[in-house]
Amino acid sequence: MALTTAQTGLSRARRGVAPGGPGKPANRKSKLSSQTRKTFFWLLLPSVILLVLIHGYPLVYAGVQATHDGSLIETGEFVGLENFANVLASDAFWKAARFTLLFTIVGVFGSWLLGLGLALLLRTKIPAGGLFKVLLLLPWVVPIVVSSTAWNWLVGTPDSLVPGMFRNLGLGTPLFLADPTLAAITVMVFKVWISFPFMMMMTSAALASVDTTVYEAASMDGASRWQQFSQITLPLIARSTYISWILMTIFCVNDFPTIYLLTGGGPVDATTSLVVLAYRTVFQDFQTGPGVAIAFLMTITLVVVSVILYRQIRKSSVE
Amino acid sequence: MSAVVHAHPQSGPVLGVADTGKPNRSLSDAGLRGRWWRFALILAITAVVLVPIMVTVVLAFTPGPTSTATGFTLENFGSVFSETLASTWLQNSLITTLSTVVVAVAVAAPAGYVLSRGRSKAVSGYSLLLFVMQSLPIITSVVPLFILFAGMGLVDNLMGLTIIYVGSTMTVATWMMAAYFDSIPISLEEASWIDGCSVFGSFTKVVLRNSLPGVLSTAIFAFLLAWNDYLVAIVFLRSTEIFTLPMGVQSFFQQNQTDWTSVMALAVIMMLPPIIVFAALNKYFSVGGIGGSLAGR
Repeated sequence: MALTTAQTGLSRARRGVAPGGPGKPANRKSKLSSQTRKTFFWLLLPSVILLVLIHGYPLVYAGVQATHDGSLIETGEFVGLENFANVLASDAFWKAARFTLLFTIVGVFGSWLLGLGLALLLRTKIPAGGLFKVLLLLPWVVPIVVSSTAWNWLVGTPDSLVPGMFRNLGLGTPLFLADPTLAAITVMVFKVWISFPFMMMMTSAALASVDTTVYEAASMDGASRWQQFSQITLPLIARSTYISWILMTIFCVNDFPTIYLLTGGGPVDATTSLVVLAYRTVFQDFQTGPGVAIAFLMTITLVVVSVILYRQIRKSSVE
Repeated sequence: MSAVVHAHPQSGPVLGVADTGKPNRSLSDAGLRGRWWRFALILAITAVVLVPIMVTVVLAFTPGPTSTATGFTLENFGSVFSETLASTWLQNSLITTLSTVVVAVAVAAPAGYVLSRGRSKAVSGYSLLLFVMQSLPIITSVVPLFILFAGMGLVDNLMGLTIIYVGSTMTVATWMMAAYFDSIPISLEEASWIDGCSVFGSFTKVVLRNSLPGVLSTAIFAFLLAWNDYLVAIVFLRSTEIFTLPMGVQSFFQQNQTDWTSVMALAVIMMLPPIIVFAALNKYFSVGGIGGSLAGR
């Protein structure tokens, strides 16, 4: 079975990558395939071991922990689905789930819109365009620990720079990290600030592959700027856009440092996402079972979503 | 900079220089105005976006509250290294990150080769598995790994940290390598097989030798992940002398009064390596690489 594996694999690659290459004599091919099988096994082995150790084993053990009344030291008694029932019945979980959803929607579409806008602006020739392209990537390149420190200095207390500016303009003193609603908005703006360069790069790369002659044809046919954008540009970059949304969704749902470093999940849990909630439940409240149960619920959701998305990507790349 | 005589006299010398690429394309007045509008808009957005980074740099070179210096000073950097464990943290971060990069590439390159050349039910199943694993929250595996590593003495230990970084990098790294190998024609390997080279030999001597861009972009990905990580570090590191830089920077906020100028000096040190890597290897720095590797399979 594995022998045919290597054979079909190699012949696929030969067909796909080097069409018209000379065929091999049959005996040479089968000898190669049996060698190939062994070689492939050894080449893949370290990766498989790591996958089992760092991803597989923890996932299974997380399942054990989620169904036990344990701690970080001992596994504890088997309690069945009690942890899941408790978690699903708690307000904290649903509050965190709602915040995660909102954070993800704002994070994905906020950064996409900003990234798309900038990519379109930078697409036309402007003075120092290359420099802007590099400078605008910095929020994504700078470590989050560094940028969260800077944001904390800018908006952290009523005496910080930005609240001070509002005060000087007679707009009151907004408590960016102390007011629940404002803190939620601040965290989302911070996430958009970190993520838009990624979207800008993805969109720029997609735009670069669009053939510009289609626009000339369209403007000759009297298409307006907006029509050109919505009916030519967007459909042509749709696949890349789709992929960037998927990636950003995963980045947002799994995000920990952006939120935790800026607000710690506060004030009054207003910015507690599911990951932050899971972290605090395990490492601050020392309730391993419920904490892992939260992480496990996220995991199950993400496995289902990512298998569906994987199929979609594969399907669209065949087309 | 080559001088280009622009077709329209009203476009002025500045435009003539900026427009060197296409001297024959004529610009209407409206197009010209639109261009400067776009320039002004981008300039304004860039200025606002960069405020947090500029603030960091400015504060790092500003005298602290107890300082007698005025204006520009380097003493924050001196004090952060003499009064905190900054040099240890920097060293820990460098050791962990560089080991992660080397091991991650060493694991991902061969696996990526198999994914690229040996496509079959089993291999594409493995590819799906990698995709699913990379989308899972690290927090799920962190708790069980914490218990496992505690038993092995790998908690509060740089090697434990590195193992987790390699593990969480390898999924995307393998995909990135596979996508790069897809672009290398198999005829190169076929030629080497005819010369009597084994599959492994052709992988190391022919394929890897032609894969520097792919290896570099994978290495950059691993570098950024390990250098910037906070979640794994906060769970696994306990003692200040084992801290990596993110934990070191955060330790300034445990005290009542944050020493802003010192923390910004350390922040500047922490953001330099990614910026240097980015500046030096800009052309290999493809987010597209990640997106592309997802798109290609």
